[in-house]
Amino acid sequence: MTLVLALILVPIGAGLMLGCVRLDTLRKVVVGAVTLAVFCGTLALAARPTPVDSGVVPFNHHWLNLGMLLVEIGMGLYVIVVGVRSRRPLIVALMLAQGGLMLWFELTQGPRLEAAHDLFVDNFSLIMALINGVVGGGICLYALGYMREYHEVAHRDVPDRRPLFFALLFIFMGAMFGLVFANNLMWLFLFWEITTLCSFLLIGYTQTPEARRNALRALVMNLAGGLAFALAIVWFHDNADSIELQTLITSKQSLALVPAALLCFAGITKSAQLPFSSWLLGAMVAPTPVSALLHSSTMVKAGVYLVLRMAPAVTGTTVGLMVALVGGVTFVIGSMAAITTSEAKRVLAWSTVANLGLIVLCGGIGTGEAVWAGMLLIVFHAVAKCLLFLCVGVVEHKLHSRDIEAMSGLIVNLPRVAVMMLVGMAGMFLAPFGMLISKWAVLKAVVDASPLLSVFIVFGSSATLFFWVKWMGKLLEVVEPQRRIEEKLALGESIALYGLSAATFLACLFFPLISSRFIEPYVLSVYGQTASLGQGNLLIMTIMMIFVLLFPLSFVWYGRGVKVVDAYLGGANVRGGVGFTGSAGQVQEVNLHNYYFRGLLDEAGLCRCGVIGCSIVLAVMAAAALV
Amino acid sequence: MAGIKQSPWILHYDASSCNGCDIETLACLTPVFDVERLGVINTGNPKHADIFLVTGAVNEQSKDVIRNLYRQMPEPKVVVAIGACAATGGVFRECYNISGGVDSVIPVDVFVPGCAARPEAIIDGVVRALAVLEERQRDTAAAAGSMDQVLYLRAQKSNAPQILALQKAAYQSEAGIYGDEGLPALQQTLEELEDEFDRRPNREASSLGARETRKDPEKDRDHVVFLKAVVNGRIIGAVRGYEVDDTAYLSRVIVHPYFQGMGIGRRLTEEIEKAFPGVKRFEIFTGHRNERNLRQFRKLGYQEFKTEPFTPAITWIYLQKERP
Amino acid sequence: MLIYLIAAPVVGGLLAGWDRRISARMQSRRGPPIFQPFYDVRKLWQKQSIVVRRSQNFYILFFLLLVIFTGALFFAGSDLLLVIFALTLAAIFFVLGAYKASSPYSFIGAERELILMMAYEPMILLTAIGMYMVTKSFYVHDIASHATLLVLALPGVFLGFLYTLEIKFRKSPFDLSSSHHAHQELVRGITTEFSGRALALIEIAHWYENVFLLGWVYLFFASSPLLGVAVSLLVFVLVILTDNVFARLKWQTALRSAWVVAAVLGFGNILVLSLLR
Repeated sequence: MTLVLALILVPIGAGLMLGCVRLDTLRKVVVGAVTLAVFCGTLALAARPTPVDSGVVPFNHHWLNLGMLLVEIGMGLYVIVVGVRSRRPLIVALMLAQGGLMLWFELTQGPRLEAAHDLFVDNFSLIMALINGVVGGGICLYALGYMREYHEVAHRDVPDRRPLFFALLFIFMGAMFGLVFANNLMWLFLFWEITTLCSFLLIGYTQTPEARRNALRALVMNLAGGLAFALAIVWFHDNADSIELQTLITSKQSLALVPAALLCFAGITKSAQLPFSSWLLGAMVAPTPVSALLHSSTMVKAGVYLVLRMAPAVTGTTVGLMVALVGGVTFVIGSMAAITTSEAKRVLAWSTVANLGLIVLCGGIGTGEAVWAGMLLIVFHAVAKCLLFLCVGVVEHKLHSRDIEAMSGLIVNLPRVAVMMLVGMAGMFLAPFGMLISKWAVLKAVVDASPLLSVFIVFGSSATLFFWVKWMGKLLEVVEPQRRIEEKLALGESIALYGLSAATFLACLFFPLISSRFIEPYVLSVYGQTASLGQGNLLIMTIMMIFVLLFPLSFVWYGRGVKVVDAYLGGANVRGGVGFTGSAGQVQEVNLHNYYFRGLLDEAGLCRCGVIGCSIVLAVMAAAALV
Repeated sequence: MAGIKQSPWILHYDASSCNGCDIETLACLTPVFDVERLGVINTGNPKHADIFLVTGAVNEQSKDVIRNLYRQMPEPKVVVAIGACAATGGVFRECYNISGGVDSVIPVDVFVPGCAARPEAIIDGVVRALAVLEERQRDTAAAAGSMDQVLYLRAQKSNAPQILALQKAAYQSEAGIYGDEGLPALQQTLEELEDEFDRRPNREASSLGARETRKDPEKDRDHVVFLKAVVNGRIIGAVRGYEVDDTAYLSRVIVHPYFQGMGIGRRLTEEIEKAFPGVKRFEIFTGHRNERNLRQFRKLGYQEFKTEPFTPAITWIYLQKERP
Repeated sequence: MLIYLIAAPVVGGLLAGWDRRISARMQSRRGPPIFQPFYDVRKLWQKQSIVVRRSQNFYILFFLLLVIFTGALFFAGSDLLLVIFALTLAAIFFVLGAYKASSPYSFIGAERELILMMAYEPMILLTAIGMYMVTKSFYVHDIASHATLLVLALPGVFLGFLYTLEIKFRKSPFDLSSSHHAHQELVRGITTEFSGRALALIEIAHWYENVFLLGWVYLFFASSPLLGVAVSLLVFVLVILTDNVFARLKWQTALRSAWVVAAVLGFGNILVLSLLR
């Protein structure tokens, strides 16, 4: 338990300290040390023989609650000030409603708000903690080199507020640990709101009007989720006299349904499902470490974590079905929208939204198989998506562009980064990598539970195929063998990138181990039965993995004895396939531009459909919960 | 190679034809003649094709295209010129923009006469081209398997046509490197080549430099050496050199594309060095972008000493070697 | 499974030969000999290797190996979903090889091949799901040993599958990404920059794939083997007939129609099945 406390408090403390550190070298030392400590801490926690534990915090509860109350009031006031200054009545209204509700709740219920166990550790929290510690730690290391280049080279016009940046990163990390280890719903709520605030501040880091606008949008939507969260806590305490998460999950369905529905709503807003996806897409204006940490690997995972926790409470109900529908629709629309854009971070954002939709789908279905699949998805998605975001960040600095079309021939220009990107992309959708295993698991779970939902998976996954392979091809194609761009990576960046690439492979190779050690016990404990992939299938997966790993040999055995000629350009080749003689003898450049389905799919139109559709679904969910 | 006779894939290109021959060619694919029953497929892609069917005379715009397409076809390949225009330029021969038939650009194996050539004639031409191809493939396959029996002999004037064909084939890749700026090796006619057996050639005159005056032609004959590399009666490599004072000027080390990379070029150079026992210095030149040749010569002990621009795109690099 | 490994290219090649012969007869021509595809492959094997980028042919080798792997998995009776994923992996190697060739024609061919993959994937996944719903198992050998005729419970899925089969065989109206024999589409589409042995390997991979696809058709009629074989061959002839009758579709139409068919026929069938349960 002390380890858990340390994991929560050390990053927060480090964050507060980093807020005052201006010297770059000192910052590097602190960041490196804390990251290493967190990394070791999470591994130590996970390696314990019987990791399931719950405990009481050894502090004076009265003072602790008072302290937390003060923090909450402080944050609430800050948000209201922000809302007033930016003339957003919605922010003010939501914060007042949420804050007022909680204040009234705490003041009136006061001493009765005791939980037997404030913190707890179980396999699911461990996985989330591992992701937070390992992946999050990697991102913090990456951010050191990245932010230096960001301020000194790429974006000189952005004011250098790196102390604040790193402070927020670490406070966020600590809050995430708190979130996954909290059993007391009030504490969970506090950490939840801290992450909202961190997200708001980090999105608005560059302080441009666009960043501010997007930060406010994120704040509004997350506050709406927060309000739902507050309502859930109040309702549950009113009816069941408890504020413990575990009690909520294990209660009778009739009792747990309304708070579970509200918490699912909160999870949906935090993980940017339709109709709330626009905040995540807008959040891409923030620097890459923010996008990687908050908006793909960790914070949005908190949203789906909550939904998956609620799974036993909503399984088999209309509420659950509606949640699953939201997830399914988001998956399909997100995947199709990702095809239409050529900005790399936008593609990744839509892909994140879509994959989170898949996890929400699992949560909504709520059977043991589905939860198992959902947890697998969380693990693999966090690793692969983070890798991709970090690579895109590096590429953006080297090429000064986020456009996928500019990444043509990257395998020659920036070979190592390109290979890591290919690994990340393969990890996102290709057999035999992790995401495919998870998608397979989801398909099986869905078919067993409610086959009609499979239509979403089926259409969505074929759309994902298109935009990933399109991007992979763009990296591989080499129109003219180009000069290598200087491929120097900062130390932190290298550690993060190589580490995550290795993690993608390892997670996939060792997934049976991960499954049996963490995921299956959790599912077993909640549902009494568990799921897994058959032995024979594991063997086949291994064979496929060997195939894929053999492929890089092609670069060693590089086309011996072949004759290299130009591409076919109708015979009008000029300068070896780079150009051709067009009409009137003009030399034209060869231009390879991907398909973006203009005229067939339209991002705005898709969004609109999704928003309308999902709003209706959410309304049905609300109705079903209340009836 | 048994396979190719049963599966000839064609690439059909219209150089500047009036389309008469083209229509007749495509008529071969129709049910009346149906060449697909012979396995013929009209691929539009040089990389898939074995037979290059060209119709029409060659004008400025088609020259580069024909060369590009020919170069992008994998060996073994044959070229069939269909119609009178493709053979000689036809009625357009004297036109300002026509440089002649297809063989002014690439080596042609079969000529199908006619205006327009009839489908029966075209099919006959394709079948003969297949026979040529098979024979060529057989010889090359046989030769490739008997490398230690390469003979290095003195070439005679009667070998000139074969050597010229070899020269044009071997220099295709050089033409690719320079983008076809009229390499002299490709422009040489049979008469000029036969001349070289008798006398020293004019040094390749730079468009910017002066011409060297010729000495007494009669005495030259003893000083010209022409070597050929022969496998199974086929000439697959050649080199020539002539002696002036104490220097032997070597030029045109050519090896058939199929036999490149096997050390034949190096052997030819060594053999011709032996053929000039009295000289003290050897000189040879090549284009500035021909990395492979430069490397080869350096390995044989040559060193660069002069560069001479020939055209805006090509610069000759001269190398020399002292006899030890 | 071993039989598959050895016999499939032979059977596939013969099918391809019959394909050309029947197409020719439909066009009032004589057509090439039945063994023509083998002559083609033999010739291609002996041609010089020409590439645009040195590593491009390696992708094709992996494409072939993975297609063989897929078919072997299928005929060994393993999980149908895994078979589909393996086939997707194989096809992706093919597409990436074409991207690597970095030429406009192979590039467009690759994009269109991806669009076609996107078009048929929903339906084949729905086929697997449909079969699961009837036989309660994803394993091919379970499905094959099912007592009743699957097609009776899955008529919509079967028809949708046939539609998708036209795409997978790369025939009109869906031969957008490359074209067979005498057709040309954007020169040769995805196969434009491959020659010699690589092209031979692609051809052989198509043979393996075709045998696997017809095997899947057989699965719908698995409980009466003779009927199954007969239907497979009939389907093959039907595919050739459609090839000769229809013109090529635009990619937008191809994608939309395939998805509509998957949604209506495939999903509709599954909807009915789940309601009946």
